[in-house]
Amino acid sequence: MSEPFEPKIVGLLCSWCAYAGADTAGVSRVQYPPNLRIVRVMCSGRVDPLFVARAFEHGADGVLVAGCHPGDCHYLSGNNYAEERFAKFAQLLDFFGLDQRRFKLAWVSGSEGARFATIVAEMTEELRALGPLELKVQ
Amino acid sequence: MTTSLETQLRSRAHDLLAEGVVELFLGYRQGSNPLRVAPFVARTPLETAKLVWNAVCVPNLAGTLAKHAGQRIGVALKACDAQTLRELLKLNQLERSRLYLIGIGCEGMANPEAITDAAPGRVTGLAEAGPDLVITTADDVVRRERGTLLLTKCATCTGMPTDFCDEWLGEAPPAPPTVPAERFAAVQALATLAPAERLAFWSEHLSRCTLCYACQTVCPLCFCKECALTLERDHPRRQAREPMTIFAYHLMRAYHLADRCTGCDECSRVCPEDIPLNLICRKLEQDRSQV
Repeated sequence: MSEPFEPKIVGLLCSWCAYAGADTAGVSRVQYPPNLRIVRVMCSGRVDPLFVARAFEHGADGVLVAGCHPGDCHYLSGNNYAEERFAKFAQLLDFFGLDQRRFKLAWVSGSEGARFATIVAEMTEELRALGPLELKVQ
Repeated sequence: MTTSLETQLRSRAHDLLAEGVVELFLGYRQGSNPLRVAPFVARTPLETAKLVWNAVCVPNLAGTLAKHAGQRIGVALKACDAQTLRELLKLNQLERSRLYLIGIGCEGMANPEAITDAAPGRVTGLAEAGPDLVITTADDVVRRERGTLLLTKCATCTGMPTDFCDEWLGEAPPAPPTVPAERFAAVQALATLAPAERLAFWSEHLSRCTLCYACQTVCPLCFCKECALTLERDHPRRQAREPMTIFAYHLMRAYHLADRCTGCDECSRVCPEDIPLNLICRKLEQDRSQV
């Protein structure tokens, strides 16, 4: 029997809220799965959908983009841009038949350590059930 | 019609160049066989004799136009070219004041592949006769109604933008029709499939993709000088052609065109592997119409 499948998740977290949220989770010793690899970015508005596509290309099974709650953006409107961009991007993912559960956009504030842990745990669970992202060559 | 569109077009182009209204006139010239035309830039009044206008003037001239930005250019426009040009103007890639636009009453272009299916053998001539096309091959003459040979984009044409061109040749433009539902039939069919079936559909088609980037090169609305998506010819990722690399490219190409693609179908026309890239264009168009 081979090892059970453990998904690799890339997390693109905004420096001001989501990354701080992850930090809060750590400081408060909240347990969450180690499947997430975090990349800190200055703002969720900095995240180009290309980063997400490239993450999938290089072997990620899921991608989590997290930023400040709407209205709380350190740069005032970065997360609004992110929301619009990724709404379109998710539509296209679906159009190509890639499971939308592999990509998640979430809002986490700096104090929501527990919430961050829940989001990561849920996403890991979903992806475990979904299996690895493998496209078959016809 | 007293004189053919082609004759009218040649004489207008001749006059515009002779009067110095434009420096260049962009149209089509005959290609390597009767079913092929190529974009052609006439620089002197004499050269306008090479311009053609027939039933297979498929290439989108808006892209060629963008390459000559900065000069005063006259151009013969079909409805689909005009829509693309409108987007280019919106995106500040061209200056409207430097363009002289001649709208052509286009009745829809024939699909060269449909023509060769209708008349097997080497096609030696193609002529218009009323609503019909007369196709001459080495040993036969076939007459078909133009409507049955149209490209899919032309069969469901969304019409010329209103008040766009400087002058008109041929039939006056009809009011832009409402978008026919058949235009989105194929996308709709794909949308009703389960995601796994859609993935299988795209895997089957995209696994043929060689990442030649013809779709990106031909696209009149892909105008970045440097592209973030394309890989060098000898790039290992391009060589390996992993399915996810190909998916990522097509996904991101669609994303970049999401706000502008006008559905001219140039990408699927040039695709050497016949990947139905026009489905992606239709999807983008449909999504935008629902906003």
